[in-house]
Amino acid sequence: MKDPTVFIVDDDAAIRDALSLLISLKGLRAAVFASAEDFLAVYEPAWRGCLLTDLQMPGLSGLELQNALQERNVILPVVLLTAHGDVATARAALKNGAVDYLEKPVEDEILLDVLQNALRIDAERHRSQQHRAETVERLGRLTPREREVLELLAEGLPHREIAERLVISPRTVEVYKARMMEKLQCRSLAEVVRLGAQARAEPATERSD
Amino acid sequence: MAMLSSPIPVALSSRDLAHHRRRIAYAVMIATLYVVAYILLDWLSYVQPILKFGITPWNPQAGLTLAFLLMRGPRWLPATALAAFLAEVFVRDTPAPLVLLLGASVWIAIGYGGLAWALRAKGLARPIDTPVHATWLAAGSIGTTLLIACGYVALFFAAGDLPADIAGGGVARYWVGDVNGILTLTPLLLYLRKWNAAWPKVWNRHWEILGQLTVVILTVWIIFGLAATDQLRFFYPLFVPVIWIALRWGVPGAVLATLTIQIALIIAAQDQSRSPPLIDLQFLMLTLSLTALLLGAVVTERLETLREVARREAEQRTLLATVPDAVLTLDAAGLVHSANPAALQLFGDIASTAAPARVSELLPTLELAAPEGRATVEACRVDGRVFPADTAWARLHAPANEGFLVMVRDATERQRAEAQLRERDTALARAMRFAVAGELASALAHELNQPITALVSYLGAAQILAGPIPAQDERLQATLGKAVREAIRASEVLKRLREFYRGSALIQEVVSIASVCNTASAVFQERLRRAHAVLVLRIPETIPTVQGDATQLEIVLHNLLANAIDAMGHTSSPWRRIEVQAERVDHEVILKVEDSGPGIAAEVAQKLFEPFVTSKPDGMGLGLAISRSLLRARGGELYCEASQRLGGACFIIRLPIEMAQELRA
Repeated sequence: MKDPTVFIVDDDAAIRDALSLLISLKGLRAAVFASAEDFLAVYEPAWRGCLLTDLQMPGLSGLELQNALQERNVILPVVLLTAHGDVATARAALKNGAVDYLEKPVEDEILLDVLQNALRIDAERHRSQQHRAETVERLGRLTPREREVLELLAEGLPHREIAERLVISPRTVEVYKARMMEKLQCRSLAEVVRLGAQARAEPATERSD
Repeated sequence: MAMLSSPIPVALSSRDLAHHRRRIAYAVMIATLYVVAYILLDWLSYVQPILKFGITPWNPQAGLTLAFLLMRGPRWLPATALAAFLAEVFVRDTPAPLVLLLGASVWIAIGYGGLAWALRAKGLARPIDTPVHATWLAAGSIGTTLLIACGYVALFFAAGDLPADIAGGGVARYWVGDVNGILTLTPLLLYLRKWNAAWPKVWNRHWEILGQLTVVILTVWIIFGLAATDQLRFFYPLFVPVIWIALRWGVPGAVLATLTIQIALIIAAQDQSRSPPLIDLQFLMLTLSLTALLLGAVVTERLETLREVARREAEQRTLLATVPDAVLTLDAAGLVHSANPAALQLFGDIASTAAPARVSELLPTLELAAPEGRATVEACRVDGRVFPADTAWARLHAPANEGFLVMVRDATERQRAEAQLRERDTALARAMRFAVAGELASALAHELNQPITALVSYLGAAQILAGPIPAQDERLQATLGKAVREAIRASEVLKRLREFYRGSALIQEVVSIASVCNTASAVFQERLRRAHAVLVLRIPETIPTVQGDATQLEIVLHNLLANAIDAMGHTSSPWRRIEVQAERVDHEVILKVEDSGPGIAAEVAQKLFEPFVTSKPDGMGLGLAISRSLLRARGGELYCEASQRLGGACFIIRLPIEMAQELRA
């Protein structure tokens, strides 16, 4: 299931069926699970999409499922389905990192909005995760000298000063810079500086927020 | 000596032995004293005997013997036999053989022993203070001594020591001598133990005693001292001083007087030339001492009765003065006859008014129809203030005044307390109904909301499915849209219903755990008694107050206690115990309700707190669900474990402690 999918977890069979039907008719992929335990048992890290889970279930509750996913460093965005009056719990879930909550019964426009938003977040998270991985990989190609030059450039120092600090000629700084830009596949200095900032924020964490 | 009742045990410790020796020495001393006194009295009263037998007109040793046997018990009669034998031998130098004397002594001892046994059975081992006892003594001694006299005389007659012509007179003389001896001495000796107590009274009235003694001596002197008087005819004036003394002093005085007269008589009769035969006087003496004894007994009884009545009256006065309730006695006409201090305080000064108060003024609505009863009526103070009163009354019977005794208690406080209790009960019932309705609404809303959720989504799907089909009526889309809106409206209704019960009236007050536990458990006293169960509350005084709604906490406790008592019904163990205890753990108060019932089965425990789950045939299965909802709404918690200590279920309530308390702590 590499394609973005909405993973529906609800103990009520009718709700599972209705939601998966509606979601698939809206053009999204849907998969259903009768309990949090079922979902956790088969989940693979490669799965993309978002999780739509009921809050009150026998066994693990929606909040507990959310916690279990966080413990496994799963970045799947979570949308909670709440019954009446569970607003306090839903708020706790939001604080805990859920992207949204929906009160039952859900109107289909709202449902679609929320789910699409969640899928977008998932895509973004993946993109940034991938980007970060690439950046790390590219930075890894630099020699230690090139990396020093990069860091000093990111601090905004002129070539002359960098040459003085590293006790090399400004000319050599130019050479390092050119070679570095080639390795990092950057077209402008601004791009190089941004990468330098990211390099300093290493090690890259899996969660973006 | 044969007085030892128990044989000496084979092995005795030194201490037992010493004790035993002391007892033997004491018995020997008593017996010796008695024997010596017996012989002395016999010797002193050995006047005008027939031949040289112990047949004398006054035998005080008989009185001593009877008193001795009455006080000490008939098992001492060997001492009597010994005393009688020694007296026969030493006082009288009788011509009869020793065997005969021994026989006579044993006969005498058996006679008195039997009499003492019979009289002790009638309760005469104590001072005589009733005419009944006096009559028993007189009748018993008259009968028995006649028997002893006949036997004694017959014995010597049969042996040929006593001529036939004086045998009949001998019986009479012996008999009169014994009866007089008993009547003049036995009652007095029985009073011996009381003499110490009587001494102050005697001292206080010594002038009276002196006067009485003078009159007795004067009368005796008139009878015997004046040569002209016929002693038999002038005997009767002696009755006057004796009756006077008997009336004043009862039995002891009367007997003392007759003893004095008897001694005077014996002395006066020594001069046989001037006196009639002593035996004639002794018959009169018998009449006198009988009269004195019976009259004295009547007087003594009356004095005792009067003292008892006075004691009871004093007791009742104190009782009436101390009872917190007002006590009124009414006469037959309904007038207040007496009122105790509490009555004066309750009604005002009803005693000071010139005319006695009427019960119809004090208790206008009280109807004294039944002989006894209770009623709560209106009462009216003297100053006109009206108050409710609890009354209890009973008819007084003759010889009292045939009216009523009425007890009155101010019922204002009781009625107020009852009203408060009723109000609280009503509030609790209302809160309980509200909680039940809330739980029902909540459960209903949740259960209905699930299908509605599915419905809305299905309709959404249906709208999409219907969208691309051109041939369809365009009203299909509109209809499906309407259906969605209606389903959502139904859900809104449920939501509002739920919020009405949940959000409304969230009372925040300072709740004392101890007082909630006390009020909640008070309701169950009767049910606990019927279930033969014991409820123990262990709420330490250091338990802080919590923030919340006392009524809701009471509902929770009520549910848990009701469940615990029900659980008692499912155990066959006679050890039925429910314990409620509180403790503070960090920022929470933990309240545990434990029971010794059968506990909760594992399959029930899982869904114990879900609504509509119940083990009771007539239960709704909402109690625990409601209890948990109420507590959770306040940040509290309710769950169940197995009780480690009592073996049944243990329900645990966790309550956050009130903030203010927290800051102070």
